[in-house]
Amino acid sequence: MQRITIDPITRLEGHGRIEIFLDEQGEVANTYFQIPELRGFERFCVGRPVEEMPVLTNRICGVCPEAHHMAAAKAADAVYHVTPPRPARLLRELLYSGFYFTDHTTHFYALGGPDFIVGPDAPVAERSILGVVRKVGLEIGGKVIQARRSGHRVVEIIGGRGVHPATAVPGGMTSGITEEERAEIEAIGHWAVDFARGSLDIFDRIVLQDTGYRELLEGDAYTDRTYYMGLVDEGMHPNFYEGRVRVVAPDGEPLGTYAPAEYTDWIAERVEPWTYLKFPYLKRVGWKGFVDGKDSGVYVASPLSRLNVADGMATPLAQAEFERFFATLAPEPSAGGRHGMVHNRLATHWARLVELLYAAERLVELATDPEITSDDVRAVPTGTPTEGVGTVEAPRGTLTHHYWTDERGLITRVNMVVGTTNNYAPISMSVRRAAQSFIHAGTVVTDGLLNRVEMAFRSYDPCFGCATHSLPGQMPLEVTIHDADGGIVDVLRQYC
Amino acid sequence: MRAAPGDDTTLVLGLGNPILGDDGVGWRVAEELEARIAGGGPGGDPHGTPRRVEVDRLSVGGLRLMERLIGYRRAIIVDAVETGTAPPGTVRRLRLDDLPVVGLDRLASAHDSSLAAALTLGRPLRAPLPETPWVVTVEAELGIEVGDRLTPAVEAAIPVATTAVLEMLADDEAPVDAGGTGSCTN
Repeated sequence: MQRITIDPITRLEGHGRIEIFLDEQGEVANTYFQIPELRGFERFCVGRPVEEMPVLTNRICGVCPEAHHMAAAKAADAVYHVTPPRPARLLRELLYSGFYFTDHTTHFYALGGPDFIVGPDAPVAERSILGVVRKVGLEIGGKVIQARRSGHRVVEIIGGRGVHPATAVPGGMTSGITEEERAEIEAIGHWAVDFARGSLDIFDRIVLQDTGYRELLEGDAYTDRTYYMGLVDEGMHPNFYEGRVRVVAPDGEPLGTYAPAEYTDWIAERVEPWTYLKFPYLKRVGWKGFVDGKDSGVYVASPLSRLNVADGMATPLAQAEFERFFATLAPEPSAGGRHGMVHNRLATHWARLVELLYAAERLVELATDPEITSDDVRAVPTGTPTEGVGTVEAPRGTLTHHYWTDERGLITRVNMVVGTTNNYAPISMSVRRAAQSFIHAGTVVTDGLLNRVEMAFRSYDPCFGCATHSLPGQMPLEVTIHDADGGIVDVLRQYC
Repeated sequence: MRAAPGDDTTLVLGLGNPILGDDGVGWRVAEELEARIAGGGPGGDPHGTPRRVEVDRLSVGGLRLMERLIGYRRAIIVDAVETGTAPPGTVRRLRLDDLPVVGLDRLASAHDSSLAAALTLGRPLRAPLPETPWVVTVEAELGIEVGDRLTPAVEAAIPVATTAVLEMLADDEAPVDAGGTGSCTN
């Protein structure tokens, strides 16, 4: 194969971009998946007070501002060596559960739905949220909108604003909630539990009972046997807001757990010449390239990984779904007697619905905690600020903010490992697998290729940062196929 | 929930990311608009906005943007675009329909639909939405470099775009620049 150097600075900067290289026989030799990253953020932050970070960082991304708000607030707590009082932690997690409920709902119906509910081989015109609504009915479409509004409402009540929350500060929250607001959130929580159960019923009826979809879910085309990562509580249940990070091997054997502040002992970053984005991997295992297996340090951080690393769910209905998930997709126990491991990336859609139910149940649990309306929502920092790490589970993967400040609390350095960055290597591997199954002997199945490549990376719910808020709102994707001599065989574009 | 807007309330939304260079121009126009409306009189709003106006800033698109429009009969969105068909700082007045309908049939981003698709979804669900949001665009050079400053040409377009919004507010059949929108914004 001709060696080709790809200059990452092109007119497509800021867009998803895939380069596929064929060998002499016309088979896929390699693929490169490039995603944009905001530049200059650290420089922008240096010199600013650390307490501004929870509001500033939620501007990084129009998709998950709540996740950045929470990670930043937790990092700022750590910088000031202060632990927020329990009611403040409950409020933050309650806000965060409302956000998860909205985000997972959107992904399933607007993004995953076209792949599963409408189908990967449906006409292009049907493969959208409009097609999903046509299939499941207007009534459910209305409920999806209601679900989003309900989740936003929880964020608005606790976060002060429905879109970019502003109330988490170093040491806790700026204000608590009233009994009336608590009751409103509890009612939303009960509605959310019903909605999440209904969504799992839809998945069961349309996906699990369909032979074709079952083959996709259980086949090898979307399968890589990698390590998995996720925040867990003391009982090894997933927790989105706090806990230790657990890492589990492809065969199910736990590699260990670590406190978020120890992340640099566990994670290293691989630099490749063809992209500015770095590829995180497990230090202890090592980087062996874009390959799976127990010897390769590639790991996934996603809804699927959070279920794989967990021993169960902390709420009863989600626990029942957790058991059904593994009994269906990985009935054989794995190493050490843990549940089986699910490696098929398309199963992430189901895992996301299990988490949706957990988030809904957690809304009710937290809204009915006796301390949730307490006024004790802030421990005012008194120590000298230094350095701190904050980690949450963003819907699309483990999110870590790490700040260093001077003694006045002014930022001197920032490091962030964002949800999608964790998954950059596995997404690249999934894209390659999808390309390999649709390109043979130089023949490119154009429609199928685009759909299958999309399905591969969409299951991870990747975040493309800055490109998500603009008018008219499209995110262009371009796939370039090169032959063995480096010549361009085909360019496939979507949205543009 | 926020109070239901009256029938005659027009929502003006400055769209964009305030820490992403020229992409923040929508927010700056919203700021200028608020100042002019508050100022009134000489140097203030020369058009005497005849109806209630609500001004807001937003950094989201698609479904979330559509949801923000629920309850308004009229809406004006101000945003930066990169069409490459006009010099930076060029201000255009359009209807949303005049923007290229990209992503209506497909997913529009890895995370969301286009606003046009979101509106198409919202209407049959009986969400009260503007018939066609009006759009004021400012041609810009959109990058992925973080910063809270605008380039000089885009900075200079703020008063022009603000006047365009005020004129639209005063006119039931707001003027619309035809065509010339290029095919793809950031």
